[in-house]
Amino acid sequence: MSTSTEDDVRDTRRSGPYVAVVRWMENLSDTQFAYLLLTPVLLLLALIAFWPLLSTFRMSLYADSLVGASALGEFVGLQNYVELLTGQRDVVLVRPFLDLNAPFRSALTVTLIFTAVSVFFETIVGFGQALVLDQEFRGRRWVRVAIILPWAVPIVIQGMIFFLLFQPNIGFLVEPLQNWGVFTATPLTNSVDSVIILVVADVWKTSAFMALIILAGLQSVDRSLYDVGRVAGASKFQQFKMITLPLVLPSVLVAMLFRTIGAMRVYGIIETVSGCNTVPSLSCLVVSTFRGSRMYGTSAAIAFITAALIGVVVSVYIVKYADTEEASG
Amino acid sequence: MATESETEQGPLSRWVDSSIQNPEKVYRAMFYVATIFFLFTTLFPFYWLLVLALTPNDAIANFGFPPVPNGFNPGAFIEVFQQVPFHLYVFNSFVLGIVTTAVVLVLASLAGYVFGRLDFPGKAPLMLLILAVSYFPPAAFVIPLFRLFTGNVTLFGVAPPELFNTPFAMILPFSALFMPLSIFILSTFYGQIPDGLEDAARIEGTTRLGALFRVIVPLSAPGVATAGVLTFISVYNEFFFSFIMTTGEADQWAPLVWGILSYQGQYSELYNLMAAASIVGVLPVAIIVVVAQEKIVSGLTAGALKE
Repeated sequence: MSTSTEDDVRDTRRSGPYVAVVRWMENLSDTQFAYLLLTPVLLLLALIAFWPLLSTFRMSLYADSLVGASALGEFVGLQNYVELLTGQRDVVLVRPFLDLNAPFRSALTVTLIFTAVSVFFETIVGFGQALVLDQEFRGRRWVRVAIILPWAVPIVIQGMIFFLLFQPNIGFLVEPLQNWGVFTATPLTNSVDSVIILVVADVWKTSAFMALIILAGLQSVDRSLYDVGRVAGASKFQQFKMITLPLVLPSVLVAMLFRTIGAMRVYGIIETVSGCNTVPSLSCLVVSTFRGSRMYGTSAAIAFITAALIGVVVSVYIVKYADTEEASG
Repeated sequence: MATESETEQGPLSRWVDSSIQNPEKVYRAMFYVATIFFLFTTLFPFYWLLVLALTPNDAIANFGFPPVPNGFNPGAFIEVFQQVPFHLYVFNSFVLGIVTTAVVLVLASLAGYVFGRLDFPGKAPLMLLILAVSYFPPAAFVIPLFRLFTGNVTLFGVAPPELFNTPFAMILPFSALFMPLSIFILSTFYGQIPDGLEDAARIEGTTRLGALFRVIVPLSAPGVATAGVLTFISVYNEFFFSFIMTTGEADQWAPLVWGILSYQGQYSELYNLMAAASIVGVLPVAIIVVVAQEKIVSGLTAGALKE
């Protein structure tokens, strides 16, 4: 558009496609330039995220087609969802989708139990670790390395560790726990025992993530508030309850949100420790339904219910978060 | 109790007395107990792997507490590469991690520049859209992607190449799913570079993209390193797509997941090799954590608290 700037004057002496592209790019408005730069990102996300999501939803409205060339049967509307939620579809699944009589062996219930229990303990352990890391002491750097280390362990190795800890032939834990009546003789094939082991494994690996976010919250607390508390005669415990807790609550909620999302999609650790037949989480059921038996419609419906459930949880947290922000601000 | 401590001052009651005088001492003691407890619980599983790896396989049974190796057999760490080509699986994971990290850093730099430094209509909804991707479970993407990569879907009338069992079947989903975090980290860093530096570069005659990659990205090196480290670790640790998008042969780009699982499947009794393989697989990330812990901490907290 303009040739008055220095580089344009210089560029006019050159020519060729490169210069043409550069000049075209220089002359875009900010908005055009922004969308140009976002194009590759949006293309990738369109192919890998948005198209698959919509396609999953579309599939979930079609019947399964177990024989024949086409993957999907006729259009059935919400029938897949209705039959899943009422239990009519359970007979064709590896494990029931929703069966309140066997909560540890049906997908929806076992996922919710796993999520609630593990996030609860992760919050407590993570808070404890954050309080330790908040202190000044020699060797703090190495304690922090030790606490972060489990977070960086690949899921498959995390699974292998807990498989080896609770394998009856070799583990030193199984026999005493069985004698105390906590576990059965083969905890890795018992659904209740396996869920407990999986919770322990998840707490071991992901508490560090909680700890780091809560620690960031702790360190942003204005230290002079504690001086005020001390002058007012508050004990350490009272200071914790009246100052620390309300001020770090928002970051605790954020950490819990991320861990809840993570726990609800649990899959790899189950596959490695005890197998999807023993602990059929929602993700497990999606995979076994579409890979094992080609029931694309059913599988897509389960996948979409999983996503919707996470969506509900996210909104609950966001509302809660807004509340605490209002209260403290 | 009170009379007892008056007559004979045992070490415990003396400690209790002085702690009542001085509560700081109790908090200090609680702190040490908690620290030792956390160190023990996080590190013990690694010690258990070491015990199993060093014990000859036929001697693995009846460990007491605390477990100690029944014998000394460091040969397991060599056998682990002979039984299956474990080094190939680890190598595949490294290649997947490095390529994904490179793709993510380039694309997230473009997007981070846009979100960090430009104002344009539709900015907030677009950011939200990208954030939403990381909320969805992988299971919600996997069915269409699996069918696409195994050549069962035509897009716009064209049959795309069959990517199943190639690195692309994993790199594409990894890049898309781990990119949002990097975009947020980089947009924060890029947003902090003063406008004057970019203007100066542009007046000197740099193009807009040149200013991004020659001025803004180098000045944000710590942010780029943070995003890179987190992306690499995420890929190395990923299970879902690594497990589903290959059939598990080392020469067909199966990553670490399959290397470890092959010990669980084919050689289900070789516990010492399972443990040795796990230790070998953990070492690369353990080294990264020791070297780059500040980056990890700042990246995780920035990424999470940004929202």
